[in-house]
Amino acid sequence: MSDGPLIVQSDKTLLLDIDHPLSVECRRAIAPFAELERSPEHIHTYRLTPLGLWNARAAGHDAEQVIDTLIKYSRYAVPHSILIDVAETMSRYGRLRLEMDPVHGLILITTDTAVLEEVIRAKKIAPLLGARIDSETIAVLPSQRGQIKQSLLRLGWPAEDFAGYVDGQAHEISLVENGWKIRPYQELAAEGFWHGGSGVVVLPCGAGKTIVGAAAMAHAKATTLILVTNTVAARQWRDELLKRTTLNEDEIGEYSGAKKEIRPVTIATYQVMTKKKNGVYAHLDLFDSYDWGLIIYDEVHLLPAPIFRFTADIQSRRRLGLTATLVREDGMEGEVFSLIGPKRFDVPWKEIESQGYIAPAECIEVRVNLTEAERLTYATAEPENRYRTCATTRTKREVVELLVEKHKGEQILVIGQYLDQLDELSEVLGVPVIKGDTPVKEREILFNKFRSGEITCLVVSKVANFSIDLPDATIAIQVSGAFGSRQEEAQRLGRILRPKSDGRSATFYSVISRDTIDQDFAQNRQRFLAEQGYSYKIIDADDVFQGKI
Amino acid sequence: MRSFSDYLRSVDDADLISLFSARPDLVSPVPPDIASLAVRACSAPSLARAIDLLNQWQLQVLEATASVNEPFTAKIIASLTDKEAAPALDYLIKIGLVYPSDDGLRVPTQLREVIGGEPAGLGPASMVKLKLSELDDAPADSKKILERLIWGPPRGSVGDVKNPGPGVSWLLEKKFLVALDQRTVILPREVAIELRGKKIHKQVSAKSPELTGTKRDKKQIDLAAIANVSTVLRWVEELLNFWAEEPADALRAGGLGVRDLKVLSNHLGVDEACTAFIAELAYLSSLISIDANDQILPSNKFDIWLMQTPADRWQMLASQWLITSRVSGLVSRLESKNVAALGPELDRVNASKIRGLTLALLKENPDIAPDWNSFKSVLDWRAPVRRNSSLQDELAEWTLREAEWLGITGQGAISKYGIGFISGDDLEVINEDLPKTVDHILIQSDNTAIAPGPLEHEISQSLAMMAEIESRGGATVYRFTEATIRRALDHGKTGDEIRSFLAKTSKTPMPQPLEYLIADVAKKHGKLRVGNTSSFIRCEDTALISQIINDKKLEILGLRRIAPEVVICDVDATDAMRILRECGYLPAGESTNGMILTGIKSNRASSKPRPPRIIGEVEIPTQEALTAAIRSLRTGEKSTHRQTRLRQVANEALGALPRSTANETMDILNQFISEEKTLSIGYADNNGGVTHRIIDPIRISAGSLIARDHATGEVQSFRIPRITGVAPL
Repeated sequence: MSDGPLIVQSDKTLLLDIDHPLSVECRRAIAPFAELERSPEHIHTYRLTPLGLWNARAAGHDAEQVIDTLIKYSRYAVPHSILIDVAETMSRYGRLRLEMDPVHGLILITTDTAVLEEVIRAKKIAPLLGARIDSETIAVLPSQRGQIKQSLLRLGWPAEDFAGYVDGQAHEISLVENGWKIRPYQELAAEGFWHGGSGVVVLPCGAGKTIVGAAAMAHAKATTLILVTNTVAARQWRDELLKRTTLNEDEIGEYSGAKKEIRPVTIATYQVMTKKKNGVYAHLDLFDSYDWGLIIYDEVHLLPAPIFRFTADIQSRRRLGLTATLVREDGMEGEVFSLIGPKRFDVPWKEIESQGYIAPAECIEVRVNLTEAERLTYATAEPENRYRTCATTRTKREVVELLVEKHKGEQILVIGQYLDQLDELSEVLGVPVIKGDTPVKEREILFNKFRSGEITCLVVSKVANFSIDLPDATIAIQVSGAFGSRQEEAQRLGRILRPKSDGRSATFYSVISRDTIDQDFAQNRQRFLAEQGYSYKIIDADDVFQGKI
Repeated sequence: MRSFSDYLRSVDDADLISLFSARPDLVSPVPPDIASLAVRACSAPSLARAIDLLNQWQLQVLEATASVNEPFTAKIIASLTDKEAAPALDYLIKIGLVYPSDDGLRVPTQLREVIGGEPAGLGPASMVKLKLSELDDAPADSKKILERLIWGPPRGSVGDVKNPGPGVSWLLEKKFLVALDQRTVILPREVAIELRGKKIHKQVSAKSPELTGTKRDKKQIDLAAIANVSTVLRWVEELLNFWAEEPADALRAGGLGVRDLKVLSNHLGVDEACTAFIAELAYLSSLISIDANDQILPSNKFDIWLMQTPADRWQMLASQWLITSRVSGLVSRLESKNVAALGPELDRVNASKIRGLTLALLKENPDIAPDWNSFKSVLDWRAPVRRNSSLQDELAEWTLREAEWLGITGQGAISKYGIGFISGDDLEVINEDLPKTVDHILIQSDNTAIAPGPLEHEISQSLAMMAEIESRGGATVYRFTEATIRRALDHGKTGDEIRSFLAKTSKTPMPQPLEYLIADVAKKHGKLRVGNTSSFIRCEDTALISQIINDKKLEILGLRRIAPEVVICDVDATDAMRILRECGYLPAGESTNGMILTGIKSNRASSKPRPPRIIGEVEIPTQEALTAAIRSLRTGEKSTHRQTRLRQVANEALGALPRSTANETMDILNQFISEEKTLSIGYADNNGGVTHRIIDPIRISAGSLIARDHATGEVQSFRIPRITGVAPL
């Protein structure tokens, strides 16, 4: 019996004992074909999925290598059924190929006519196909390239895409590494993406996803469309690109509610892209307005549905998705993978933390007792108002005051969901508040003041959940959130994960009302981070009041 | 010595023992003498069983012996088959299919019938001496016909034997073909053998084909096999634990329904074929029983089984599997109709034989995961006689599959455990090779716990109660949720017990969120209490509540104080109010919405009214009704009178028991009770036998006649419907 770090379970999960001396080596070996599911303190969970195995095939690994790796690192005997399953699944890949034929255009070609016969009879596939060319080849409507790949994947016969990508209009972009260096994992991520053609890169908040985007652009050296969540994020992208690459101001355009610039590198917001004029999406033309060589989707977990549909039609362009938390409460992760591309890079948060690229963070759940009167209000509240009632109690406000007082001098963000709660906090704490209706200009001024240290505390609504770069924020206090959203919690923690100049660690407080659904939601919200190895410490509000912490 | 029984008398004990061990049916039951042994050994069923044991080569030699005239010599057989025939012939002699007599070898008379009329496609022997050398001179037409018949079947049909074609007529003339009837001719055996080049078979299969397949590494085989062993043990345990919690209902026709099978298959995470196999394993080993309510439940043998070592547990399953005639593979077979697992339709005659043969083949070819086609050809050579041919291939295929599930094989090749099992060795090695049990878990901050190996039984039992299993295999992943903690609390654990158990068992420090989760649930658990009561008494004046609680007169109410202002009460609200009033209190009723019920109580019945019937007073009928009644009475009277008369005559003639109609009976009884006369009655007992009683009637009460029985002198009651007749004495 070998004493490896890996335990292969019969349900196709792989448990990796990270305290084992071989764990790092093993992690590298299984990463190409297994998907990281959870990475808490001691045992990380990976899963063997058909998609993962096919990606490995696409990247040039064969079934034998995968099986050898499993057997080599496995602590116990690997269930035979899993080995057979791996071999079978991987052998399904590549029986069908999408190719570009000089005469017939896009074609689906097979080495196994039975498979082709099977798939062309499938209801979802038939309408996407053109004329039958011979027994092994059939034409595919070029506009349906994304659709057909997606449908074939669902049928379990993934097509290997040899049709390639359009190069797009060439545009010289390179990284300028003066005074900074691209981090090893960023380079790995960019390379992983480039060799895969298209796909999603998952990196923790604050780990420098923008740089990965810039590095990908430097690989492509072509015109690039970047889709981001909001205008503030768009400006941050622009600043970052100016700083990190050879691009100058004239080459970067902003396409937002305020400006409509189309330049070789254009940064557009999701909001403007999905804006409807007379019932049609007026701005989707942007995808066609330039011969883009690369499309980058920032915060791809927020991708709105219309963009999904449009993305299916541009499968010949390279696509890069960037995210920290690929969990969608709507369960559309699968769609992201099949439209943007498979996950190309993923790394446990704690590993990046241990390398010092993101700040270590402590997560603290502060439990507040409701007063008798509040309890009564809560108990009798209408179901749809219950969360709001318990999430916005007065006691929370007092705790926040104390916490802000305690961390005086540090950069503090107070984050919440409900505007009246935020207004009240802003008033009590005497600090400015940023909400959805705050004009972009004012937001930028406030964020800049916060960055420069002119103001040390900000109250923000969910507009600051994503993409806002506040390097020196060390304390985040969450008072309420979008119910049980796991990714929101992670994104909010992400606001304070930028490594601090003095190496300080960050603290994330989540203020929760005890024995209410606030507490239940909190438990769900914390799941993603707990699975990333962030262990919450629970303290009582009374301890805060008594100054025990 | 000519006969088989003579031969049997001549052999020594050792030969008899080897005969009996090859053909056990000959000694069960033990025959009284050699003559009856011989009869049994030569009977068709016993011969058929013996032939089943033969491999392809032995069968060919046997066919040769059946195709020559008796007596024959080993030399002749060898020349007709192959020089390797001697050992096969020896074996045939050993199992009594061929026997030596004074003048040479013979076969039991019935053998030819059992083998079939035309062994190896050869016709009957010719009746006349043939000049076989003339065959070479046959005309071309005749040669064509011979070619068609040479390898059998030896019959051919012709238009008319009386008017044959040119080729046939020459053959008929030379007796190289014999007419069977008007339209059929047959090729005599000698001619066919001559044409076959003095051989009997086209191809002599003296040797088994070689088994080919993928070569496997011994260590990997055993590793895979031990994983299979531990998996199958886990499956069985999980299946039974599942049924212990949610027993499945057996179908009326017997067996497990398709839906239950599916549920189980989901639970175990294996396909339905495998699920059926596991269920059958448990069934064969008596680990489950189907009770009187048709529920499928673990038997108490399951508890004993759990206490055994893994090796013993495994051996029990494997050995039951090896000998059973039940074939679980039939359950999920596509082409068969829905055959239920655990149902009555799974028995197949040769299942165990094929299983044994398959394992024997695997054992002879260690380190090889056989290729299916090669395996099939070897199997066909080993067991050429197919009594259930359609299933034989599938049986073998299923056996290979099941052997893998059981861990007899690993990666398709036989493991050391499989070899040990087949040879009947001690399987202690399984206990040594199974992963060592671990006594700890690792709790992580995402509220999961991981047991990095098989857990000790007690720990896994406790954990299963307080967490749900998320992933199974070499390790087990448990997840704690509010619901699972509550389940543990429901099982009577306290929050502290759970916490200290986890803290003791976990190698890693207990994460704070889990501690809080346990504390939170424990705090909430049982906060709401539920019980039964008939009514309640409440009062805002706690002093008054104390007063009634202590009032001795109210003990009858069974009062219990559940809150300072609330008492519950064993009797219903109406009675409680009455008793309270009697004792001088002034209670008021309370409606469901807490309002005081005031005013006079005025209840309504919920059932439909059924007014009483009027007795005694009868409505005066109309004139028409009366006339009709009288007319019918007259008619009835006439016929009754005649019948009674007839019966009286008959009774008097026969001296039989008194008989009267029910109405007459009541009439006479009523009449004689008032006259206090002795009566003779016929009275039926429980079994319908009628006895004659002499009684003094006293009265009629509730359908019975109370009377003094003269035979016993005691007062007794007689059920009126049982009185068959009454007559005055």
